[in-house]
Amino acid sequence: MELVQLESATCTGARELRAIDSIGFYTLNVRILALAEKQQLPLLTICNTCTLNVLDAHAAFVSDNALARDVNARLSVEGLSYSGRTRISHFLWMLYEDIGEDELRRRVVQPLAGLTVAAFYGCHITRPPSRYGFVDSRNNIALEKLAVILGCEPIDYSGRTECCGFHTAAHDERISLKLSGQHIASAKANGAKTMVTPCPLCHTILDGFQREIEKDSGVDLNMPILHLPQLVGLALGMTPEELGVDQHIIPFPPLPSIKTLPA
Amino acid sequence: MRNLNTDVAVVGGGAAGCYAALKLREKGIHPLIICKGWVGKSGASLFAGNLVVSGRLLGNTAQQAADTAEFLIKYHNQFLIDQNWARSCGQWIEQTYYPELEAAGLYFRRDDAGNVVTSPGRIRSIAANVQGNSGVPFMDLRRKQIIKAGIPHLEETVATALLQRGDGSVGGVFALDYLNGEYIVVHAKAVILATGYSDRLHARSTGTREMSADGIAMAWRVGAAMSNLEMQWWHTNDVAHPPSWQRMQIYPNPMLGSENSARMVNSQGEEFFNQQVDDPLAFGPYTVQLKALTRQVHAGKARYDGGYFAGFDHCRADEVETYTTYAKAYKQLGLQFPQELVETAVTAHYRQGGVDIDNKTMRTSVAGLYVAGGLGGHSNGLIALATYDGNVVADGVANDLPTLGNGGILEQQIDVEHKRLEGILAVQGDLKPVGLKEALRKVMWDKVGVEKDNNYEWLDAIDLANMIDACELIIQASIERRESRGPFMRRDFPDTDNTHWLAANIMIKTDNGFRFEQRPYELPFFQPEFATRNNMDVAW
Amino acid sequence: MRVLDALNHIAEYDAPDLAYRWFCGSKMCGSCAIRMNGREVLACWEAAVPDMTIEPLRNLPVIRDLVVDRTPYERRVVAFEPWLERSAPYLGFPEPLLHKDIKNASKALDCISCMACYSACPVIRLGDLTDFAGPAPLVQLGQTALDPRNDPAKVRRALERSGIFNCVSCYKCEEVCPAGIPIVSQVIEPLKAKAAELLPAMATHPRVFRSIVASRGRIDPGALVLHIQGWRALTRIPRLFRMLFRGKINPLRTLVGTRTGAANAAKRVLSRNDAPT
Repeated sequence: MELVQLESATCTGARELRAIDSIGFYTLNVRILALAEKQQLPLLTICNTCTLNVLDAHAAFVSDNALARDVNARLSVEGLSYSGRTRISHFLWMLYEDIGEDELRRRVVQPLAGLTVAAFYGCHITRPPSRYGFVDSRNNIALEKLAVILGCEPIDYSGRTECCGFHTAAHDERISLKLSGQHIASAKANGAKTMVTPCPLCHTILDGFQREIEKDSGVDLNMPILHLPQLVGLALGMTPEELGVDQHIIPFPPLPSIKTLPA
Repeated sequence: MRNLNTDVAVVGGGAAGCYAALKLREKGIHPLIICKGWVGKSGASLFAGNLVVSGRLLGNTAQQAADTAEFLIKYHNQFLIDQNWARSCGQWIEQTYYPELEAAGLYFRRDDAGNVVTSPGRIRSIAANVQGNSGVPFMDLRRKQIIKAGIPHLEETVATALLQRGDGSVGGVFALDYLNGEYIVVHAKAVILATGYSDRLHARSTGTREMSADGIAMAWRVGAAMSNLEMQWWHTNDVAHPPSWQRMQIYPNPMLGSENSARMVNSQGEEFFNQQVDDPLAFGPYTVQLKALTRQVHAGKARYDGGYFAGFDHCRADEVETYTTYAKAYKQLGLQFPQELVETAVTAHYRQGGVDIDNKTMRTSVAGLYVAGGLGGHSNGLIALATYDGNVVADGVANDLPTLGNGGILEQQIDVEHKRLEGILAVQGDLKPVGLKEALRKVMWDKVGVEKDNNYEWLDAIDLANMIDACELIIQASIERRESRGPFMRRDFPDTDNTHWLAANIMIKTDNGFRFEQRPYELPFFQPEFATRNNMDVAW
Repeated sequence: MRVLDALNHIAEYDAPDLAYRWFCGSKMCGSCAIRMNGREVLACWEAAVPDMTIEPLRNLPVIRDLVVDRTPYERRVVAFEPWLERSAPYLGFPEPLLHKDIKNASKALDCISCMACYSACPVIRLGDLTDFAGPAPLVQLGQTALDPRNDPAKVRRALERSGIFNCVSCYKCEEVCPAGIPIVSQVIEPLKAKAAELLPAMATHPRVFRSIVASRGRIDPGALVLHIQGWRALTRIPRLFRMLFRGKINPLRTLVGTRTGAANAAKRVLSRNDAPT
């Protein structure tokens, strides 16, 4: 499998653009889909919110002819056009759908034995129900199943499919500090040595804000947070440094089973 | 015990009660609403599926206008209605009701070209937002209007008795806030009862928890005459299985934006009712449908409690779902929609009969007591008719108000009602009839000494006392009407008898019980074309 | 068997004093919402399952057992004055109105005010931390605020009290809505758009976000925080240093960085004059 970076891809607009400029939102996202379609490639994202944004834009595009015409007219300036054929995937789904559980299991060279992991799904890979088909998003167990394949031990806790609060954090951090504080505390109380998330926005709060969370709650958490690709990479034999694990605010402690780069 | 004073006590927070209160307030009169549940959310008005178009509205032809009137008089009321009243009601709906609702913000469903979406046919209807759910935004609007107007409303508070003055006139309401266990005495110059229908006297009903005939029982106890109590409507298409899913209805009404509507088939799969084929006139085809079902039951091909099916298997899913909520029952039951049909059964729907009133003022036979909406015996309901009642009663009460309210409520009445309610809490031992005995005893069993807070079960027991009284009246009235008429079917009197029974069946309280009187109807616009005919051979 | 039947059975045979509400029994009155196995449902519209746990709704005071006090919700709704005030005279029935212009309000009109979403909302769960009105009151607001017939001045007054930008977009509300209302995408987001239009100062965050994307093609978190929080961003200096130290942020890129292809495209797309600025 080869990854091709869409060099001119833009931000998908997070929550902000879609709220205040819906046509701008649709156009930017359909443009990304069109860029992939032009190269006849499926689109892969590593972010929950980006995934939902392109999914929503795609759904609106294929169900609303007037919108589709409008958006394509806007894209025609740069010679782009979308016909609704791009397959949208998230890194988590790609592992299941394109690599497969058996292949992944075969490639695990460094089973993460002894690593108790709290899976943190976040929101936009499992809600709204109209996109993902869960009557109850708590029934999503994709990350826990993956954790088992990678040799670590998933734990159950109250925050699994809860919200980190990222989307209000730029103007007011308090909600995210409180919400994520509860989730990390619950993960810790249930025995997690690390948390893993398929969304870099969740990671920003859980890791990047964790010292402020500790200050806010008065509780020492010190919970390392991994990006999903990092957890997979470790099990596949990559080093923490290769994976950028050392860039996190909360240090990921060396595990006996995980090798580090020779000095 | 809390004492409250108001100009007018309005019992009931549905279409009639809310509108009466709003109109009184506009006149500078102070109403107070007493609602057993929540204003706008707990009565039958919530169930309004769609709203009938009257007169020449929305491009109705003269023929459609006439058909609508004919429907109301024949199919909706089997001629047991004052036709002049029906006419003025229709005019009000056309001139005031719709414009007023829309001006206040109610959204009548449009299509993308801006046309109000109607059902097809000779009698048309429209929807507030979605067909099948019109009552929700309609009554939400009323609730907000009540709040905006600053009209006080006691919620989860049940009126348990009408209180009389020395001269017998009604001057107040005894009420119980059953969540807090607080007794409330409302002193008023006049009382408007707008407690709605009494569907919940039957094991299967389309009604809400509220509809336990409180109005009939309370009005009867102070001596108000009743009219046509035996006239009960039935709904043929309530979900039969599982039995507990009752109140999920498959509406056979013509659908907005479609030429089709639900069809009914018997256990052999034979269609026996299809609105467009069998009943192009009746917009609410309940009686026509009931008669079609009765024929199936007589032939041994269906039962009243099941064995027949209803659905939309001849329609496209989007045809049903664009403007209606009719698919919701199928989806909840896990049925493929629209391919699969659902087994249905009969339930009690509106009661046409009720308290006898003067339809120009909504006065009852008891001074100071007025009635509006489904509780009245003057017509079968539609949310528009109930609202019209609210309008008429506000005028009626406003005109009478200067002459009302002399003297206070008899203290002794307050004591009696207080003791009755305490007695209900403390009751043990046997009650009749058997079915109610079991229910009442279960409710009562652990009540002795229980504190009076948050007590929905106390409410159930109070309801039950009302239900027992109302049931007796209804049974007596049913025995009195010696004919069959529309949904009122007697095996011993199968004919519709216009010679003897084109009349209101008035039940009057006497010192030692009751007596019946007949009051014939005038027939200025529509007349039945026969004297006597087997009811099953009559279209309406 | 519905959950409601189970409750009726319990009240009849086991606990006659069990307090629970229901009126209509058919998903219209919204009085019977409870939590079953940790999820908000209507007792009248949910099949009972073995060993289920039944709790009252959250985020509202419990009066007793399953009966909650809805006053906090009612107070929020009334503060919005959720009735139509026309800026133009009513033209008579039927007035000119296209469904597409009222389609979001139309979705909000399906609301049965059952409070399931209010109970599921994590921001409401934080109490008075912010002024966020919560999903149920916002849906009630949407019924009139997203109605093109309503007076914008009135909508502005209501939105001022909505705390709408404190919605975290978690879709918990949509997940439990028994009426199937797309609360986030068809009520809260259109309300945010209204707020951006009528109360630009309230929408600084999304507007700054948009302008950064428009000029750079992608978002730069440093620039975003700097523009939105201004001097308040200085209080985040410890975090800034931590992130700098770990190589998470690049101040140079915050100051001058762009990605040419993306920036050009975003400029083109977002600078159309039919879009808000």
